[in-house]
Amino acid sequence: MLSSSRHALASVILLALSARAQAQQQVQGFAVERFYSSAPGAGWFAMDTLDMHGRLGGALSLTVGYARNPMRVTDGSQRFAVVSDQAITAIGAALTYDRWRIYLNFDAPFAIKGQSGTAGGYSFTGPSVDLESNPDTLSDPRLGVDVRIIGGPTSLFRLGAGAQLIFPNGNRSDYDTDGTYRGMVRLLFAGDEGLFTYAGQLGVHLRPLDDSPAPESPRGRELLFGVAAGAKLPVGRSGSLAVIVGPEVFGATAFQSFFGSNSTALEGLLTARLEGTAENRAQLRVKLGAGAGINQQFGAPEWRIVCGIEVFNHNQVQ
Amino acid sequence: MRAPINPFFVRSSFAAGRLVRLICVGFAGHVLLASPLARAQAAPPAGHEEEAFDLMNLLSHHGLHNIEMESWNLYGQFTYISSWKLPFQAPYTNANGSINSLVPDYERSFTGTFTLFFGLKLWPGGEAYFVPEVISERGLSQIRGLGSSIQNFELQKSGSETPQLYRARLFLRQTFGFGGHDVVKTSDPMQLGTVVKSRRLVLTAGNYTFLDVFDRNNLTWDPRQTFFNMAFMTHSSWDFAADARGYSWGSAIELYWDDWALRFGRMASPQHPNTLPLDLRLWKYYGDALELEHVHVLFGQPGAVRILGYRNYEVTGRFDEAIAAYQADPKQNAGACTSFNYGSGNFSAPDLCWVRKPNQKLGIGINVEQFVAKNVGVFFRGMYSDGKTEVDAYDPADRSLSVGAVAKGALWKRPFDVTGVGFGMAWISKVHAQYLAMGGIDGFIGDGNLRQGAEGVFELFYSVNLLTAIWLAADYQFLWGPGFNTDRGPINIIGAKVHAEF
Repeated sequence: MLSSSRHALASVILLALSARAQAQQQVQGFAVERFYSSAPGAGWFAMDTLDMHGRLGGALSLTVGYARNPMRVTDGSQRFAVVSDQAITAIGAALTYDRWRIYLNFDAPFAIKGQSGTAGGYSFTGPSVDLESNPDTLSDPRLGVDVRIIGGPTSLFRLGAGAQLIFPNGNRSDYDTDGTYRGMVRLLFAGDEGLFTYAGQLGVHLRPLDDSPAPESPRGRELLFGVAAGAKLPVGRSGSLAVIVGPEVFGATAFQSFFGSNSTALEGLLTARLEGTAENRAQLRVKLGAGAGINQQFGAPEWRIVCGIEVFNHNQVQ
Repeated sequence: MRAPINPFFVRSSFAAGRLVRLICVGFAGHVLLASPLARAQAAPPAGHEEEAFDLMNLLSHHGLHNIEMESWNLYGQFTYISSWKLPFQAPYTNANGSINSLVPDYERSFTGTFTLFFGLKLWPGGEAYFVPEVISERGLSQIRGLGSSIQNFELQKSGSETPQLYRARLFLRQTFGFGGHDVVKTSDPMQLGTVVKSRRLVLTAGNYTFLDVFDRNNLTWDPRQTFFNMAFMTHSSWDFAADARGYSWGSAIELYWDDWALRFGRMASPQHPNTLPLDLRLWKYYGDALELEHVHVLFGQPGAVRILGYRNYEVTGRFDEAIAAYQADPKQNAGACTSFNYGSGNFSAPDLCWVRKPNQKLGIGINVEQFVAKNVGVFFRGMYSDGKTEVDAYDPADRSLSVGAVAKGALWKRPFDVTGVGFGMAWISKVHAQYLAMGGIDGFIGDGNLRQGAEGVFELFYSVNLLTAIWLAADYQFLWGPGFNTDRGPINIIGAKVHAEF
């Protein structure tokens, strides 16, 4: 009698532990980054000037950025940053011809750090990526093509289209990859009128991974959107340099829960760039941006700084 | 006197119709690397052939790129190597729980690599280079059992059959000219076309491999075009600081003074021997190299002599201390390790896991290359290392030499073909042999028993050029004394290589 009671008690305890374990699901990780840097030579950090022209030309770019708290989760009682620090270098190369551009981007994370914990029945393991433990890591590389369909390189209104194929590379637990192929297709628009310049995008992020309802996790396909506007000011008497200053606002929202507060990332960057304007030789562009998450969910960080340097050449015959 | 221009790499005009070949090369690379089914070897690329196909030549030919004074360049390569190891004689394999024997059965190994080389001019004398690479591989016996003569230089300790993309290099190079005559630097992978002075100071810093700067040899520098075996890539007994793929972070300074050059460099070491994570505290643990080079012309043919010394200060184990620890307390054995170890199950053998601490490793070697005719050259390398500590990053040899000859097919009217014959041998120190004979293992070798002897390789290859951009190579290797153990072997390995450049 006593022995069977002990057996029963043991079974109940085991069942309870099992239920508790099932209730806490382990989140594997995914690509948390929402800042998709533009193609080399595109001008803006996230938007695209669509000013491809000239003979065979191209661009090489280096962008370095840091994001603070791009992924925080809460279950009401506790809040912690699964990804608290993210420092990434993006290196890209583009070839342009007339109104076409083809490019390749590589992201090299230098540090991705975070905290582990549980929230909402999910167990999160914070990443720990740095140069020592991962001396040669490259995240998902991107291969893209853009084309300007309507308008000229300096016209008031330019319309274009772009597509990217994102190759999986790395470990999901580092929070820099979904582990699956992804794609992006976008409508791009831009224009210049006097000192005013603008650009924007509307597109779809083809994302197979759906980890809902885990907090902050991907939920399949996403709508991408963004807009940038600024003043383009010539520097010096010769006008061989120009400064462009203005904000970029961009974000993404899951189609599954369209513009829901927990499924929408929205952030803004105040940007400035200095660039050469000559058409027939290589030019340098240096840019700086700083901003914050407007809706700090779904990958939009608490704040972000980015800087970039590009060498580009339209190879235009004078 | 000008530094000799490598006669293997001479630039000339380019013919039309290469774009189709570019597409074919890229498609072939994608198909082969996508197929399922993969000791770090960070081989610097040789200068490409001027007459061979490449994107920079194509753009220059159409007036779209100044290849003599470049502001940027882009090169790429694809290499697939397959090796078939025939069965061989072995009275024992993985004796007493040791795990590092080369298995005596038939095996096939392969590597597939695809690499892009980006170069960018930043300012006068300043250059930046970025090299992403994809690799898929499968080693022989999980890259165990061979010490200095691993049959395929492309094999990496951390590789797998699943293709892996990683950053092979990201570094800056700054050149300060001091005068002398002009030296033409032709456009090549990791070299922008430019003109430098024969007296100059060159600083390199970032993520690269020691072999990009030190121990160059114009005949064997890029194994993707010549020998397959690692014994000919560099000194087998130079345990240069690197991660498990062969790369690291550090810096180097080179002083060129006409025909002379003096180099010094320091690179970061792995956190644990032969692993990928690095210890970036260069002031605490490091590998240093110092090299003196002289280039000359002998009977009208270029040549060079390089003397290389190295000093590592890294967390490694000494063989004598591992033996002493085991003899003093048999519980400190290979099967009972509680810290980083290679997984031996031999409870009656010493192990380095019990004695790892900061240790010094020293070595000195000589590298000689000499062209004996316009398209024929001979080379020799020999190095002596102290042999007191385990391998930390490269291979376990303590002394090594290699000698050989390479010829281009211009002699028989096939100018882009290459053929070569080479002979390499390596040895381990007496205390290293004692450790292995007692059943100990280190990074790659340890059969559980040992009859000490040299490990050697004889290699013969022929590389046929097709369509200007593609080479097919056949290779034969005869190896003896695998793992410096004359009880086992010899071994016959047949190899084949597809290599393309653009």
